[in-house]
Amino acid sequence: MRRLEVLVSGVLRLGVALSGLLILVGLGLMAWSGDVSCPYGVLSLEWVLWGDPFLGPSHVLFLGFLVLVATPMVRVAASVVAYVMDGDWVYAAITGLVFAVLVAGMFMGLG
Amino acid sequence: MFWLHIGTFLVLIQYRALFGERSRFIDSSEKRITRESVTGYVTPPTMVAALAIALGSGALGSMLGLGGGVVMVPLLVFLLGVPIHIAAGASIVAVVATSSASASVYVRDEVTNMRLGMFLELATTVGAVTGAGLMAGASEATLKTVFGVTLLYASAVMWHQMRSSGRSWTPADNDWVAERLRLGASYYDAARSETISYGVAQSLPTFVISYVAGVVSGLLGIGGGGIKVPAMNVVSGVPMKAAVATSNFMIGVTAAASALIYIRNGFCDSFITAPVVLGTLVGSFLGAKLALRVRGVVLKKVFVVVLLVLGLSMVASGVGLIWA
Repeated sequence: MRRLEVLVSGVLRLGVALSGLLILVGLGLMAWSGDVSCPYGVLSLEWVLWGDPFLGPSHVLFLGFLVLVATPMVRVAASVVAYVMDGDWVYAAITGLVFAVLVAGMFMGLG
Repeated sequence: MFWLHIGTFLVLIQYRALFGERSRFIDSSEKRITRESVTGYVTPPTMVAALAIALGSGALGSMLGLGGGVVMVPLLVFLLGVPIHIAAGASIVAVVATSSASASVYVRDEVTNMRLGMFLELATTVGAVTGAGLMAGASEATLKTVFGVTLLYASAVMWHQMRSSGRSWTPADNDWVAERLRLGASYYDAARSETISYGVAQSLPTFVISYVAGVVSGLLGIGGGGIKVPAMNVVSGVPMKAAVATSNFMIGVTAAASALIYIRNGFCDSFITAPVVLGTLVGSFLGAKLALRVRGVVLKKVFVVVLLVLGLSMVASGVGLIWA
């Protein structure tokens, strides 16, 4: 559990740094290419994941947001694994449910 | 009887969030947010201004242990004329950023009560998804009013904390839920150089309050630590340090749950969210450094007034007394 915590702490820091970098690069690409087109309104899951074009300026920016939002999810997933490995089934179930709610949230709000 | 009312109310919100009218934001006739109104206000100077606002609120937030969102959203709305849905969308992503950044530090020092956090997260994430669902269908006026009331509440809580900061804390025993889930914990307090053990009393009321905190967080795009910390501390008798660390641990996951819904609904406008996230990250880092030099009491007094003024303006704007 302890080693996992240190690992997760590293994952969190890496996630924040990576997303900060992606956001900066996205803004830089926009300024450099002059392509400030951005989707608006309800977004399709396909656009969020694959972009149009893939890694276009606004897509890089959005990936920055996504990486950021994904870091706490990675953390919860890691806790599920840790509790299962400890044989703590009650808490494995609780964290598993939390993860399920997070995933459900991703598919909800379809507009 | 009281719990019956609360229960009915919660079921109603849940129903409305899941099956209620959707995407009023896009095709509502009352306050239509078009492509023009979204990009219309976003010019490079606006982005710099958003960055500055985020920098300031991030610094203030981390100095006071409050998320920056609670000041940032009203400032974006009033100073830059950003629609509140978009301001909240930028704020929720920033909340995830600051929470992850600070959690990476807190996790190492074992003050965080992981089990209590996980247990309450069950309530906050469901609440957050509910709140974000409600938010997608809520009008600008409703959101402003609710936000204003929340600001007034936060102001009152902070004022109360200032007056009763010297009060002693007495440890509580685990109740039956806490006993079964082993929620009680202990941590080493470096300032007092002793190990502090505590139980968690009244876990179910705290669970329900956490759900409400999740709804508020999802609805307004803020962290909601201002609700969770008093609930754990006052209702369940968790020591303040552990309550703050645990709340911070929960905020990232709670905010991530609603942030996904915000992103899908298009509330995270790139041109506002990007500067806000960067500004908050740098701001909260600076705030943590500055906190050592500034006198907390003076800062808190200023903040009580700021929250009060912003809260009153939000309510006034929400019910149409002032134009903004």
